Amino acid sequence: MQASVWNRCVRQLRSDLSEQHFNTWIRPLQAVEDSLTLRLLAPNRFVVDWVNRNCMETITSLVATNGAEKPVIVSIEVGSRGGRDEVRAQPAGPTKTPSGAYIGGKLNPDYTFDRFVEGKSNQLARAAASQVASSAGQAYNPLFIYGGVGLGKTHLMHSIGNLIVEQNPAAQVAYVHSEKFVGDMVKALQHNTINQFKQAYRSLDALLIDDIQFFAGKERSQEEFFHTFNALIEGQQQIVLTCDRYPKEVDGLEERLKSRFGWGLTVAIDPPELETSVAILMSKAAAARIELPEEVAFFIAQRIRSNVRELEGALRRVIATSAFTGRPITLEFAKEALKDLLALQEKLVTIDNIQKTVAEYFKIRISDLLSKSRRRSITRPRQIAMSLAKELTTHSLPEIGDAFGGRDHTTVLHACRKVKSLREADNRISEDYQNLYRTMTR
Amino acid sequence: MKQIPLDVRLADHAVFDTWYPGANGALVHAVREAAAVRTHTVCWIWGAPGCGKTHLLQACVSEAHQRGATTAYIPVDPVGGLDPAMLENMGGLDVVCVDAVDRVAGHAGWEQAMFMLFEQIKQRRARLIMAAEKPPLHCAFKLPDLVSRFTSGATFRVHELSDEDKIRAMQLRAKWRGLDLPDEVAQFLFARIERSNPHLFDVLDRLDTRALAEQKRLTIPLVRALLADERANSGG
Repeated sequence: MQASVWNRCVRQLRSDLSEQHFNTWIRPLQAVEDSLTLRLLAPNRFVVDWVNRNCMETITSLVATNGAEKPVIVSIEVGSRGGRDEVRAQPAGPTKTPSGAYIGGKLNPDYTFDRFVEGKSNQLARAAASQVASSAGQAYNPLFIYGGVGLGKTHLMHSIGNLIVEQNPAAQVAYVHSEKFVGDMVKALQHNTINQFKQAYRSLDALLIDDIQFFAGKERSQEEFFHTFNALIEGQQQIVLTCDRYPKEVDGLEERLKSRFGWGLTVAIDPPELETSVAILMSKAAAARIELPEEVAFFIAQRIRSNVRELEGALRRVIATSAFTGRPITLEFAKEALKDLLALQEKLVTIDNIQKTVAEYFKIRISDLLSKSRRRSITRPRQIAMSLAKELTTHSLPEIGDAFGGRDHTTVLHACRKVKSLREADNRISEDYQNLYRTMTR
Repeated sequence: MKQIPLDVRLADHAVFDTWYPGANGALVHAVREAAAVRTHTVCWIWGAPGCGKTHLLQACVSEAHQRGATTAYIPVDPVGGLDPAMLENMGGLDVVCVDAVDRVAGHAGWEQAMFMLFEQIKQRRARLIMAAEKPPLHCAFKLPDLVSRFTSGATFRVHELSDEDKIRAMQLRAKWRGLDLPDEVAQFLFARIERSNPHLFDVLDRLDTRALAEQKRLTIPLVRALLADERANSGG
């Protein structure tokens, strides 16, 4: 069979199916061909079923008309060719346990203690993690790290795993997200391999379980985890757990688990204080080989206080905009690149807020803005307020129209266009708009 | 007798070349990078319906495929007969584009499936591009772990095209179809129809069909005739 049979099928399917269906159901398929078979591999059962229902007939008839001497067998199953470059680039693969079963995900080589930016908010957790990594199973067992989302719990957990493996390359360390633990256990029950599952987990030197709040309400998983936990602790094998809150506060978690989680050391990570946020941004920029002026880092850190992930997102946005424009990252540049993000992020800008500010600025009443009045002294501020609402909020045109006395969305559209042309033609209006914009976004 | 055209027109395949960027240059650059560069990327693009998010995601999938990456475009929808199981192992692909991700907000099964997809993609250092009508913090997701992960990517608003840019966008689409849409014809058309992008492209599609059937170029009389016929047919 020619190697291009699948390519021919793809061409045909591309013209038979809508572009959306093609990109959703055919694109993710991988083909393994030889002279007798065409094996299609799909990411999951859902895709297999869809292709079977909608395309298998076409594929089979295309293969049959290919002129091969012997009939070619076409099949589709869940699977992946694997071994792609990106996968090979991963240094630490899933842990292979003595029982031969693979568990857990990869340790992220970027998450090391060296790259963890320390501050008041996380220094206790970092110190405890470092100690646990240096004397696994001996120091604190389990180590329970808790704190809000995006504060570095997973980073610390991987750092522990990476250091243990660095010190002892033969060590069996598994990083497992709680959801994956639950999913794997369900599969083991379905396939009657629960004993191998137990054996795999219990033969580890260190087990790192992330986000244990996901165990809440899953009784069978908790039961299994309880026994795994006991076996590991008895064997002096290290357990590290993370959670988004203090163990006792997790609803739907069995009491006996909660109490065991407190056997070792429980440490919190708090949201980073300003200086730590700045240091985190500088460190992330350095890792991306980007020159980030300190004043820009301060600017971002002052405005995004909730968690590290949001800081990262803002930095990525600035870097992406700089990569596109070719302009260096300065304070002015960062303000411009982040203006819509920050205005929305801080949740300051609501339509009510805009109406109030605009009414005060033009010394009119909010009720005037919502009224039917067509006097220019009212319509101009109304149009400016609508235009600001369009620019600074996520509301749709009909929603904005509604909020301004039940107006039609075309009125809002007209207002936006009018304000745009007035700003170009009239300096005073341009200045008014800028003043209001600044008031709203600072 | 009216000639019925054979359907030999070039379809508007969703590629970057047919998406007019206007003020969205940085966004297009970032999404194209995600299709091309083998580094872990998370992007969130948001904007009103009809602003071209789906086109961008599909263009990304097309380009990623051409560059040898495994890829999929996934329009998630809890009410459209789809199931969270369709996300399983999609994180094993190199470039995953998830459309209308805000629609699954509040649906526990979907949110968990998105969480697992995100984690799998992060672990494999693959690329995830998502589109929604609002930025992550403004969608009603119930899982804080999910929202914070979404905010870790570069977020871009798809800015609406100005009137001038909309005309250029129509001309770009026309050119891609092998049609010449002169400025005066575009202006004439633009002044007479609803200006949302989907509607503009829809009218262009009908003009294309008519021009082919009548073997004519795109001229003001042709546009006028089309609009008059459509008004008559709709009873207006």
